[in-house]
Amino acid sequence: MAGDKRIGGALAAAACGLLGTAGPKVSIAAEPEGKWDVDTAFLFYGESDDRVKDASLTGLAIRDYGDDRKLSLGLTIDTLTGASPSGAIAASRPQTFTSPSGRSTYSTAAGELPLDSSFHDTRVAANAGWSQPFARWYTFNAGLDISTEFDYQHIGVDAGVTRDFNERNTTLSLAVALGKDKVKPVGNVPIPFAQMSDVVFEDDEVDAGNRGADSEDKDVLDVLFGVTQVLGRHTLLRVNYSYSDSSGYLTDPYKILSVVDPVTGEPIERTPPPDVEGPTGIYLFEHRPDSRVRQGLYTELRHDFSGKVLQVGYRYSTDDWEVDSHTLEGRLRFPLGENSYLEPHLRYYTQSAASFYRYSLAEGAPLPEFASADGRLADLDAYTLGIKYGRQTTGGNEWSTRLEFYHQVGKAPAEVLIGNQVGNTLMPDFDAVILQFNYHFKL
Amino acid sequence: MFRSGNRSSRTSNSAMPSLFRPALAGIFMAFLACSAAMAAQPELDLAQYHGRVLVVDFWASWCKPCRQSMPWLNELRARYGEQGLVIIGVNVDAERADAERFLRDVPVDFEIIYDGQGTLAQKFGLQAMPSTFVYDRDGKLAHTLYGFREARRAEHESQLQALLARKT
Amino acid sequence: MNRKMGIHAGKVAGIVLALACAALTGCSSLGVKPWEREVLARDDMQLDANPLDTSLDDHIYFSKEGTSGGRGFGGGGCGCN
Repeated sequence: MAGDKRIGGALAAAACGLLGTAGPKVSIAAEPEGKWDVDTAFLFYGESDDRVKDASLTGLAIRDYGDDRKLSLGLTIDTLTGASPSGAIAASRPQTFTSPSGRSTYSTAAGELPLDSSFHDTRVAANAGWSQPFARWYTFNAGLDISTEFDYQHIGVDAGVTRDFNERNTTLSLAVALGKDKVKPVGNVPIPFAQMSDVVFEDDEVDAGNRGADSEDKDVLDVLFGVTQVLGRHTLLRVNYSYSDSSGYLTDPYKILSVVDPVTGEPIERTPPPDVEGPTGIYLFEHRPDSRVRQGLYTELRHDFSGKVLQVGYRYSTDDWEVDSHTLEGRLRFPLGENSYLEPHLRYYTQSAASFYRYSLAEGAPLPEFASADGRLADLDAYTLGIKYGRQTTGGNEWSTRLEFYHQVGKAPAEVLIGNQVGNTLMPDFDAVILQFNYHFKL
Repeated sequence: MFRSGNRSSRTSNSAMPSLFRPALAGIFMAFLACSAAMAAQPELDLAQYHGRVLVVDFWASWCKPCRQSMPWLNELRARYGEQGLVIIGVNVDAERADAERFLRDVPVDFEIIYDGQGTLAQKFGLQAMPSTFVYDRDGKLAHTLYGFREARRAEHESQLQALLARKT
Repeated sequence: MNRKMGIHAGKVAGIVLALACAALTGCSSLGVKPWEREVLARDDMQLDANPLDTSLDDHIYFSKEGTSGGRGFGGGGCGCN
């Protein structure tokens, strides 16, 4: 199903997509006034082992109305297929699960990580932004963004101001974004820790015992405060502090946890009633807190040395779910002759598990207040290695392409493991390839 | 002595009885002495423009508003040159080739001085790019324009008209 | 948990505000003259030189990891007007 990536995707649009980019700076070589500066990209994302594949088309058009007043319009369309881990763990025997709609089942072979197959789904996202200077030292920007897919909708607004000091060597910025999301999961919103039920026949209603409302809301407030400082003729430093407060329905309605034997750590076996299809184990829907407050500090240095540009960034993030992360990223752009460049890219990411992350739940033990087996909330490390090549055409337009390899390795903290699971876990690790083509032109 | 393209410090023929000219000459001589080892220094003798309204505009090829202000300066030159408006563009590109490439795209009808080291920029105390200094017919600094905004063109133009209207 | 966050918030915000003040006062001598910005004005020296790449990356990493955002904003550049 579209599930996790979609919800994540919509959250991305809300939380970070627009803050600070509502009024993008256009290049000096770019458009004369009255023309549209258009950047388009086709992106393919593919994970290993028949997991998620995504193809998207994005366009961003900017028009300068003179005196630094700019309108930007963006549109993204992407389609997602494939499967993603449901949160259930592998067992030494085959397992069967009921699909989110409650109308069918899917199975996983022995020893394999259960994946629930995503629906083939399309997401559309659009955004608009305006920026303009006022008084001598200020610029103001505002934006609106929306996104929609069959089980998730998002709308957001943002506004910000920047002020220059010290002959524009120092810039302070402040931006606020508000987002409102609505989740409408297939089969309705599951009750926290409700058990995955057997299949129901076409005309019957979904078992009321494990489903609640047909939709839930989520609100997000983001604040970004930044300082940019020119350090020298060739060097620029930026430091941003970000604060994000999400409240409402933050659970993933499609994710489950396996209930396991407290001694062996093996998923409990269950036999569905005769003539009925259903799960061959006990699986409970996850439950996350209804609030998440996150803060981050991001710092970036950009340095030119004889035409080569080095960009190094570090971000520290911490939140009240105890997911703390460090991200270190670097890019180095080498000009190749007059018209092209090569830019290798490296990224390292590490995070600590959420306080309520569980690999599985022990049968008979009291249920925790919150629990999730979503691999994205475990301890994890991720590495990206990429390269980008770009070329300017004689008309002054530019096309570029980039290829990146992503490797993610997760780990369940020892304290959440049960019985023989210690030293014997199968985490939803994966590799992914990202291939992107860009074309940047003036209309 | 100086590379072609830079103005030499010919004194004007005007019989201006003031300390202005020698003082200015003295300042520039000091500057020249300091940068003897470097390339030829640009200089600007304001005294020779007495009796006319002088616009000194500092620009660079990498400065986007400059790309918009140059055609406007050309227009002003065409419209008011007869009335005694003189425009001098001072280019501060570190690489002269960049300035010349810009001028091929955006040709200008007025004189250009090359100040690649930024000595004139330093002397004039630029606080923004572009910066435009407007001197009245008596050689006094009448207006300083920081930056360029289309919205203020009309206002600046009428200020110039006022200065041109005042004969010394 | 909230109190701990509160103290943490204070510390982190304090660091950034201190940096901001430093940038405004102590760093008022740091920087370049307005006519020395030829490198900073270049496309590849802009903070959001590739807005599409940045937003596509943010989207992917948000979907696959537990943290998001924090970048964004203006400054640098040619410093014109």
